[in-house]
Amino acid sequence: MTFTVTGDTVHGTERIFPFDLIPRVIPDAEWQKIEQGLSQRIIALNLFLNDIYHGGKIIADGIIPEDVVKSAAHYRPEMVGVDVPKDIYIHICGSDLIRDGEGNYLVLEDNGRCPSGVSYLLENREAMKRAVPGMYRALGVRPVDDYADLLRKTLEFLSPRQAQSPVCVVLTPGLYNSAYFEHSFLARQMGIEIVEGRDLVAIDGYVYMRTTRGLVQVDVIYRRIDDDFLDPQVFREDSMLGVPGLMDAYLKGNVALANAVGTGVADDKVTYAYVPDMIRYYLAQEPIIDNVPTYLGWREGDRRYILEHLEELVVKAANESGGYGMLMGPSSTKEERVVFAQRIEAEPRNYVAQPVVSLSRHPTICGDHIEGRHVDLRPFVLYGEDIEIIPGGLTRVALTKGSLVVNSSQGGGSKDTWVLYQ
Amino acid sequence: MRLRIHHRTEYTYPQPVSESANEVRLKPRQNRWQDCDSCLISVLPAAPLTPYLDLYQNQAHRFQVTEPHIRLVVDSRARVTTKPRIDFEQLPYGMTISDLKQLQELESCYPFLQPSHYISLDREIWRQAVDIQGQSTDVFQTAYAIMEHIFDVYDYREGTTVVSTPAHEVIQQKTGVCQDFAHAMVALCRSLRMPTRYVSGYFFDATHDHHLRGSQASHAWAEVYLKDVGWVGFDPTNRKVVDETYITLAIGRDYQDVAPVAGTFYGGSETLLNVDVSIRRLERAI
Repeated sequence: MTFTVTGDTVHGTERIFPFDLIPRVIPDAEWQKIEQGLSQRIIALNLFLNDIYHGGKIIADGIIPEDVVKSAAHYRPEMVGVDVPKDIYIHICGSDLIRDGEGNYLVLEDNGRCPSGVSYLLENREAMKRAVPGMYRALGVRPVDDYADLLRKTLEFLSPRQAQSPVCVVLTPGLYNSAYFEHSFLARQMGIEIVEGRDLVAIDGYVYMRTTRGLVQVDVIYRRIDDDFLDPQVFREDSMLGVPGLMDAYLKGNVALANAVGTGVADDKVTYAYVPDMIRYYLAQEPIIDNVPTYLGWREGDRRYILEHLEELVVKAANESGGYGMLMGPSSTKEERVVFAQRIEAEPRNYVAQPVVSLSRHPTICGDHIEGRHVDLRPFVLYGEDIEIIPGGLTRVALTKGSLVVNSSQGGGSKDTWVLYQ
Repeated sequence: MRLRIHHRTEYTYPQPVSESANEVRLKPRQNRWQDCDSCLISVLPAAPLTPYLDLYQNQAHRFQVTEPHIRLVVDSRARVTTKPRIDFEQLPYGMTISDLKQLQELESCYPFLQPSHYISLDREIWRQAVDIQGQSTDVFQTAYAIMEHIFDVYDYREGTTVVSTPAHEVIQQKTGVCQDFAHAMVALCRSLRMPTRYVSGYFFDATHDHHLRGSQASHAWAEVYLKDVGWVGFDPTNRKVVDETYITLAIGRDYQDVAPVAGTFYGGSETLLNVDVSIRRLERAI
């Protein structure tokens, strides 16, 4: 298993994703709570997206400021008034969970665009099964191997042509993308084609795939490229990855996209701060899993607090992911803090800060002995006819001693995650 | 038994409607036979929910969609853990008809002895109930006989009744669906002075051939109060004493009190309704 790192010319770009043999174990009761909390969250996020692209009651009622929504980098005015297939925006979601000092799970961020990592989870399980055959049955570990099946069902559910067996494809930016391994892995597991933009063509509001036997109409596209690159006629003109005319077909309802266009606004780290309010507003419930407390750069008082406490906080750019554009207060240098303070002053909307939550630690093999290393958890939620969450998720571990950054691009590894039946 | 329920109600209007005000009773009740582990109710067009407890302690939610719309979707996803309700080795015989007098003063029984919106208590209903009761002097046995009578004699047929068909019409024509059968049972039992309430909920068909009725939609049955035992459920649609395959959503005097989704709107009168219920049993430990 490999992944690609951008911006590192010394060590080359393709790396092995390290795997730790000691699994993380989650008891059934704990898992049920996670499952319920994540289901609650994905429903609220979907209602939010439905709402803001259809009038915006939550804005009118003063729960979320209009500015926050409309200024999000991934807000898509093109989607206003558009009914997406089955009213679902986020079909595949990967939310990052951490545990605080009391052992409570907290949501660190939501990934409602193109969350990656599920292939590592599946491969980790395969590797562990080979290493310790028989253990899974004996201990009552819940299986994860039906993920590809569930993903395919989730995609097929969206098909505009229900009469016949739907044609689904995985749309990848190509071989050089950091998650290409995953794109091809999932396509193979689901038994569907993997395509690049140039393999698809939009004609008169329909999307077709070029095959050796001519054009085949495509119903559902599991796209692993960002909105920006989907269609050069509508979004970035210079995109070579997309398909001209794809949005036209999408808006006409002739092809479904997973995830829908415009979900990035729910991923925005400022929007994130409002998710608990969304849950209260739409579902009349308290969040089952809490957020990490978040200070927003655009709020006057919060900004002052951030600037005064840069050394204690983690500062994040609102629209970045993968650990890029981030300042770890306690381990930062003075120069870095000055740079970030300037950036925050210049673009307050684009920065948020959170207290450093000391991630829970988990025994991990370090050379010839075992030590505690910080971990997080990314479960994968599928929202189709049903909401399915594959038991466990990808446990990422910061392999450097004391480090809190688990991103694979920053020296993280992973573990197999066992959810028990009991 | 751990069960997962998905209940989707979709209204489509050929002409846009507006000012829609609705009330839903979709959250499974918490009681000694069932734990509601989670329940997520959502509405499209998106609208905030206002929760409240009704007269019978059912968890209801209100919401409004004021802007013009041509479609309204109410979606409920719940997880419930049910426990065995009744000991089938020791059915609760022993309470006699003459004991019923004491129950009339109980506050918890009073509303369930009176006529209500869909339940009238006339002489004809009473006459039929007495016929079914026969020589029995036991309350459980009588209730069981009434359930069997409805199951055996009544014809389960969709389209023969409407949502507002009252109990006396059902008893007269002896056909209908689960709501009608439950109303008939409530009326027959009440006319014999047995405290009886109407229950809306779901029913998981655990049989291999799925031959039981009502598992693909919301279901309804009746509960009769037995001294020292409490409320015991009878399902006249399937001739079953209610067990752990049943999930209670709401209780009331009749359908009027417990309708899972009800509302009013302003606009054309034509409405297409589509209800879809799926219940799955969650995996067991190996």
